[in-house]
Amino acid sequence: MNRAADHPQTNPLREGLSTRAVPQPCVVVIFGATGDLTHRKLVPALYNLAADGELPPALAVVGFARRPKTNEEFRRELEEATRKFSRQPVRDEIWNTFAQSIFYHQSEFADLEGYQTLALSLQKIDKERGTRGNRLFYLAVAPDQFEPILKNLKSVGLNHAPEGSWARVIVEKPFGTDLASARALNRIVNNSFSEEQTYRIDHFLGKETAQNILVLRFANAIFEPLWNTRYIDHLQITAAETLGVEGRAGYYEGSGALRDMVQNHLLQLLCLIGMEPPTDLGADSIRHEKVKVVRSLRHIVGPDVAANVVRGQYDAGAINGKTVVGYREEKNVDPKSMTETFVALRINVDNWRWADVPVYLRVGKRLPKSGTEMSVHFKKAPPVLFNKESVALDQNVLVVRIQPDEGISLRMQAKIPGTSLRIEPVKMDFHYGTSFGKASPEAYERLLLDAMSGDATLFARRDEVEEAWAFIDPIEEAWHAIKNVPPLYLYPAGSWGPEEADALLARDGRTWRRL
Amino acid sequence: MPTATETYSLGLQVEIGKIDTELKKLWQQSEGAMTRASLINLAVYSEVPGSLAQNTQLIAELTQNHACRAIVIGADPTAKENRVEAWISAHCHVGHAGSKQICSEQLSFLLEGPCTSLLPNIVFSQLDSDLPFYLWWQGALHDPMDPQLWAWVDRFIYDSRDWDDFDAQMRLVETAQEEARQRIVLCDLNWTRLDKIRLAVAQFFDHPASHHHFAEIESAQIYFAPGFRSTALLLAGWLAAQLGWRAEKATGSERLQFANSQGGKVDIALTERAGEAVDEIVLSSDGVEFAVRHAACGDLLEVSRGKPNETRLPQLMPALGNDPVQLMSQELLRGGPHRVYLRAANYLRHSS
Repeated sequence: MNRAADHPQTNPLREGLSTRAVPQPCVVVIFGATGDLTHRKLVPALYNLAADGELPPALAVVGFARRPKTNEEFRRELEEATRKFSRQPVRDEIWNTFAQSIFYHQSEFADLEGYQTLALSLQKIDKERGTRGNRLFYLAVAPDQFEPILKNLKSVGLNHAPEGSWARVIVEKPFGTDLASARALNRIVNNSFSEEQTYRIDHFLGKETAQNILVLRFANAIFEPLWNTRYIDHLQITAAETLGVEGRAGYYEGSGALRDMVQNHLLQLLCLIGMEPPTDLGADSIRHEKVKVVRSLRHIVGPDVAANVVRGQYDAGAINGKTVVGYREEKNVDPKSMTETFVALRINVDNWRWADVPVYLRVGKRLPKSGTEMSVHFKKAPPVLFNKESVALDQNVLVVRIQPDEGISLRMQAKIPGTSLRIEPVKMDFHYGTSFGKASPEAYERLLLDAMSGDATLFARRDEVEEAWAFIDPIEEAWHAIKNVPPLYLYPAGSWGPEEADALLARDGRTWRRL
Repeated sequence: MPTATETYSLGLQVEIGKIDTELKKLWQQSEGAMTRASLINLAVYSEVPGSLAQNTQLIAELTQNHACRAIVIGADPTAKENRVEAWISAHCHVGHAGSKQICSEQLSFLLEGPCTSLLPNIVFSQLDSDLPFYLWWQGALHDPMDPQLWAWVDRFIYDSRDWDDFDAQMRLVETAQEEARQRIVLCDLNWTRLDKIRLAVAQFFDHPASHHHFAEIESAQIYFAPGFRSTALLLAGWLAAQLGWRAEKATGSERLQFANSQGGKVDIALTERAGEAVDEIVLSSDGVEFAVRHAACGDLLEVSRGKPNETRLPQLMPALGNDPVQLMSQELLRGGPHRVYLRAANYLRHSS
């Protein structure tokens, strides 16, 4: 998005070749290098960038982890993982060249000496490989490890780069578990790295269709005049998955759907669909507008929580014809767990554009179908002519599908051929997969490249994160109160959540869109 | 050309006036199992005998990644008798997103004799409305060009490597553009051929610390395959145009001399040898060599920088072959105006 990131247009040979900021030579230091994220996402993403020729000319990857391992062992492990998880087949020639730039650094996260030797290794890599003192630190670790890592990076001066170079840190979610912990975490991060150096990753924003929301809204003049309370009845955002907790029970028990999905992914999507046009495509111009949306959310407090938020937990049921256990029967889950695996919310955005336009968010595990989408439900045509009581036309609905089968569809009314006047909804449907043969890059590819280029547009800013927690906290507080606790409804796996979620819309005369 | 030796049928022969009706029938028969997709109108014009079959094969491959309504025209303006024939067919493949067949339709025309002048009339009536119109002209252009044809073209695709007189051909294009009062984007596949090499060269100089080299480049060696001298010249033209070099003189056909903005001399040596279209380029600046060469496997570029005789750490980047499907695919992915091309082409016009 931000073409004016690092060193814009100073290389005349780049003219006409790139429409994005150019990634700079750097060393990517991954903390938690032996973990799942590194193996499944980060290194396959870096390999794909290398295979597509997108990486900067000089790039090195240093894996920082506790287990003793040689460079060769580390490279072999990563090769195996990349062959398994890469979106494109691994070519030996490319992997072998790429692997030469991968190194392993063994140290405890809390061991200062490990960082002193890391600093020396990075200097050596700079000299040998031309990475020019640029550092991208990726914290692929649990948040409780942030503090020792960041403190030690600061102690050895790796939080600052020499003149003309840069040091940046990428932080993985969760960004805290509430406002207080998010602030504490942000303080920890900002004690070592300034906000400009900090990149909070939300992989939803790296998805092609999420980026396309701004294009849809601001590159097509037909939508913007309609994009307001005068023409829009309500908005819906749904993130459904058929999967259960899948070995993440340890994390999920302390998190739940609201913290895991709504605080970050769904509110980020709401920002994109609800924001005002930015003054330019600069990272902060876009993020200024996004944060205004979160700031405008009417907080749901006390008794309003029960009226506007429905939480649920999956019980035993069936997915795709196979029986599955309930959440409380999952491994490592408390048999009396009150953790929500489903949440539906009715939200109000108190600003001029969205006044009286409710936003319904829904996220859940073990739902019948996986899919993430946003839908804009326009007001019905006036109840005259074709829209008289006896005909009752449907609304026009614009749907942006984020995953899978990314695309956009528009529902409208059409006359059924024949001598009588029968009107039915029809759908104009655009599928990325049908129209463009080329598969979209993985979100992590885009985001890693953006961080190397200094383009923070698709990363969450501190105030966005904290404002989102400020909205989420009162709901969590109501759920964890001693008295008048809103109920946790059980729903059978394979259903669309508790009936109360349907009632949330039904009382407004609306229904959830069928995915 | 595609490596497969399969033969591709032109499909169902139809009367020109009934193409729409026959297309409807074609889609009705396959309703439910297939999705028709189209992002552009792509007309391919050739006067080479047998081109209809060859281009049908090419479109079959191209539509796997670029859904379009293809209009393939094989013409023989020298034939004495008029002959007009038309066929319809569809190219289907399973999309990466699912199991449904995604299909692009192809309309094929064989035009012989004086009726080839009816080309614009035939093409325009078959365009899918509202979609951009790309015209891929294979071979040399004729004087005069029909301005009616140009009035509707959004992107004009050609391969200047096929042209004997680049300057004369470009003049024809410009005249037609002016007459049609249309801003057409000119897309030269000979320029597309250089895409990946240009990218590989450009990335050496992304970091500001490398920018001093722009003023210090003293020589370049470009190795090209027989038949690709114009491609090598375009590459030299690109460097000259983007770095502000002024052409001084050519010492024979294989040595070009430029002066940079500070008056320093820049020598470019063009050397023909077997290999890829542009097989290798080495820029020398202040004792440092910036080298881009095709790796042994052919579809990758080996990119390295360093002092002569120094051990280097090469990086691999994707290369672009000389296969027309690859070239067209790359061209269709690009979009936008090709201003840099026009600057590089300007150099080629004055040296060809």
